[in-house]
Amino acid sequence: MIHLEQVTKKYRTERVETTALDNINLTVDKGELIAVMGPSGCGKSTLLNLMGLLDEPTGGKIALDGKAVDRYGDRDLARVRNERLGFVFQQFHLVADLSVVDNVEIPLLYRKMSNKERRRAALAALDRVGLASRVHHFPGQLSGGQQQRVAIARAIVGNPSVLLADEPTGNLDSQMGDEIMGILQDLNNEGTTIVMVTHDPRLAERTHRVVRLFDGRQVQ
Amino acid sequence: MMRHLLKLVWNRKRANALIMLEIFFTFLVVFGVGTLGMYLWDNWRRPLGFDWHDVWAVRVNMQGASDDTFTPEQVVTAARLVREVAALDPVEGVAGAMMEPFSFGAMRGSQEINGRRVTMDLNEVTEGFAGVLRAEVVRGRWFQPADAALSWRPAVIDEDLAREAWGGEDPVGKRLDKPDPGSSEPETRVIGVVRDFRHHGELSGPGNFLFYYKHLGDPKHRPPRSLLVRVRPGTPAAFEEELTRRMQGVARDWSFEVQPLEQTRETAFRRTLTPLIVGGIVAFFLLLMVALGLLGVLWQNLLQRTREIGLRRALGASHGEVRRQIVMEQLLITTLGVLLGAIVVVQLPVLDVFGSTLRPEVFTSGLILAMVSMYLLATVCALYPSAMASRVPPAEALRYE
Amino acid sequence: MLRNYLKMALKVLARRKFFTFISLFGISITLLVLLVATAMLDQIFAPQAPETRGNRTLGIYQVTLRGKDTTFNGFAGYGLLDRIARGLPEELPAVEKISFFTAPATAVSYVGGQKIESSLKRTDGAYWQILDFSFVEGGPFSKEDEANARFVAVINESTRGRFFGNAPAVGRTLEADGQRFRVVGVVRDVPVLRVVAYSEIWVPNSTAKSRTYRKDYLGNFMAVFLARSRADFPQIKAAVDRRFDLAEEHIPDRKTFQTVDGGADTLFEAASRVIFEGGRESRPELLWALFIGLAVLFMILPSVNLVNINLSRILDRASEIGVRKAFGASSRTLVGQFVVENVVLTLLGGAIGLVLAAAVLAGLNASGLIPYADLRLNFRVFFEGLALALFFGLFSGVYPAWKMSRLHPVQALRGRTV
Repeated sequence: MIHLEQVTKKYRTERVETTALDNINLTVDKGELIAVMGPSGCGKSTLLNLMGLLDEPTGGKIALDGKAVDRYGDRDLARVRNERLGFVFQQFHLVADLSVVDNVEIPLLYRKMSNKERRRAALAALDRVGLASRVHHFPGQLSGGQQQRVAIARAIVGNPSVLLADEPTGNLDSQMGDEIMGILQDLNNEGTTIVMVTHDPRLAERTHRVVRLFDGRQVQ
Repeated sequence: MMRHLLKLVWNRKRANALIMLEIFFTFLVVFGVGTLGMYLWDNWRRPLGFDWHDVWAVRVNMQGASDDTFTPEQVVTAARLVREVAALDPVEGVAGAMMEPFSFGAMRGSQEINGRRVTMDLNEVTEGFAGVLRAEVVRGRWFQPADAALSWRPAVIDEDLAREAWGGEDPVGKRLDKPDPGSSEPETRVIGVVRDFRHHGELSGPGNFLFYYKHLGDPKHRPPRSLLVRVRPGTPAAFEEELTRRMQGVARDWSFEVQPLEQTRETAFRRTLTPLIVGGIVAFFLLLMVALGLLGVLWQNLLQRTREIGLRRALGASHGEVRRQIVMEQLLITTLGVLLGAIVVVQLPVLDVFGSTLRPEVFTSGLILAMVSMYLLATVCALYPSAMASRVPPAEALRYE
Repeated sequence: MLRNYLKMALKVLARRKFFTFISLFGISITLLVLLVATAMLDQIFAPQAPETRGNRTLGIYQVTLRGKDTTFNGFAGYGLLDRIARGLPEELPAVEKISFFTAPATAVSYVGGQKIESSLKRTDGAYWQILDFSFVEGGPFSKEDEANARFVAVINESTRGRFFGNAPAVGRTLEADGQRFRVVGVVRDVPVLRVVAYSEIWVPNSTAKSRTYRKDYLGNFMAVFLARSRADFPQIKAAVDRRFDLAEEHIPDRKTFQTVDGGADTLFEAASRVIFEGGRESRPELLWALFIGLAVLFMILPSVNLVNINLSRILDRASEIGVRKAFGASSRTLVGQFVVENVVLTLLGGAIGLVLAAAVLAGLNASGLIPYADLRLNFRVFFEGLALALFFGLFSGVYPAWKMSRLHPVQALRGRTV
């Protein structure tokens, strides 16, 4: 499904060059539920960003479903991000000036659908994450856990084949975290491939495989 | 998509309100400057209504005569003068006038016609005037010597005056002034209409013109203060000396100042142009200021939305879609500001603040120019920064602080 | 303490390069427009050489003759002005000098087959005593020259260049509009915007081609009166008004015109008389109102701009404010910080605006768009503009900052959730 070959990511500022990822080789098969772990600064978020096509690797190849996406032009990248990937960010990144349901609708705006269909899909996704009663609230009025759930709803509203989640339970208490993990597992059981960055070992236990990173390199 | 954008714009109304206000004021400035520019350009390109090429003006100073007192001898001399000048070889035509075109100073009159007060510029001219200055008569006729025997006062008006006083009706034969039974003054009637006559030159605004008849040789009419002499093209400046000599021969104690209308026009031009240039320079910098101010505010506003732009890209929007969204939002806000501005500005003709100086065509084109400029400005101010912002990889954009 | 603020302010401004740039830009361009506009107005109205005594000069620049249905607006004739001015210095010792001169007209000369057009003005001898021209050669013509109708001329440097190359011109002959004059003086170029002083060639009134000009009620003449001091203005104006009333009895064409209006005005008042036509009286208050109205309109835009920018600047730094508060910064410290930032920005913007204005004015002077322009910076206006900018900067920046600083750190840290 996702294939990374000798992928490197370096950041350059005016004076310093930092290597965030060094020679990563990784394959994620369809239907897997994977955890990426490591100490802070080890590059796990960077790895996720690359897999989610949010950033370009400095070196190496990335393939999605056999296609070399690192060569894709903007239009194709956008289509892939929209139709095949779903991303859940650590900081949620909800648009503060839009209501919950409007936030969840955003990915569908870039697809040809009628307004009614969009609304239906968004409400369904929110129902899935248990926020049906808050659809017209604004992000500022929700707790951290609720905002996270909105972010998840937004990520799944388009039925992506791959879901990438960066610390999805990072800001939540253990009960809430368990609930979220449950939703993710359900999604995985229904066929969504999930790659999750986490530092919580208990969550990692519930995944199929754990990828460990240290200082930008894979370790075992 | 439109619904989504409308919701976005509405939910951000407080922040957008300030931008909208700025757009409103910018629109007012652009409209003001633009309409002024259109007004000047409109004036410039409208035809003068006469041809000043190869026409020389002669200022006639009858020694000892002031406006009120002139002698029958002087009247006769003036008539002789005109005949002699007309007989000279390079001269194609001679006319007399109270004031020559482009002269500083204006003679204005006002009459009540059809219940409204109409103002106009005046001049008293002889029958040769239309020919010498090539003023085209479009209705009725010009003055002729037989008019001296009329019991009423003939007048020729220009199209502007005809339009303002009588609309589409044929003004020929109509009475110009209000009937005053007690007065012994003869009534004034229109005998003809000429094309819009712009006595003050190409930079002057719209106005009405009225010609009265000055009959040479009529002891009731003061001899003309100016002679307008059309000379054959190519007549050298040296002829001025000969002309003056001949005139001096006819009227020994009178004095004459000859000046080609080209020169009078030049003087008038320089006089009017200088304040315009001053205004133009200030207006230029003013426009620069408002355009760049708007650009700055919009750009900065957009920069703040870098994260949002990154987010939308992460969710699958292409460059084009992001740009389109930003531009559309910008146009929505601009429309609000422009609409408000248009409402304010439309009060000008409604309340008739500028009267006939502001022709409807000038106002409308100024308004359209301002609207188009604002939309253009807004689009450019939205396009470039959003293009820049969307070039950043989503991951970076989302980290933007 | 202040130095700390200053250092912080500079660091912050350097970090937020974009905001800094925009604010600086807004302030400097606003001041630029202000200074350019003022320089123009100054050149028209303010006392500058050669009109160094402009402060105590009144003039009759335009007159209006009115009849039942007819109005005439234009320059007065020598005859009318003579009637007004006759006996005035005897009646009012405050009137030190009087001069009659014409409006400039285009005169044509032929030099070596080439046609040259120059502005020509006719003046009397007193003109040169009321105005303060800079002679680079020779001197002015005198009252005697004028009385004897001597064909002498004063020209400006550019005219000297055009007619005689750059050789000394005094004593040489110049031909204009068919008349020949002997050059007696060469002056420095005078800006075209100076209504009273401007011309390229000056010759005595008596050389006029018309022999009846001294009796004309209408013509192309203007008059200026040099007063002892500004305090004498009301007296002089009243006397002139009275004489205008008396002059009505001598209007030549009484059938057409029955009243004559005019007055002794400063240049500004004369402008208001012309603009707010009617010419019946000068309404300087209206002109002031117009200018102030335009200025206010003009100032609203950059202010709204500044408010916009400052507001976003504050919102953007909400988290920074929250963090600072969490670490113990008081409202006063935070506000003080922003005040210093705004002041620094405004002063910097002002300096840039000043430099830009100097450059633009120099460019304008050199370009010849406005002939012989000698536009200069008006520092009083600069400081007033700067003060205004400071005021708006503070108002638009400090108020939101103060509000923000009064929030609990948690709320500030939350900011906007994107």
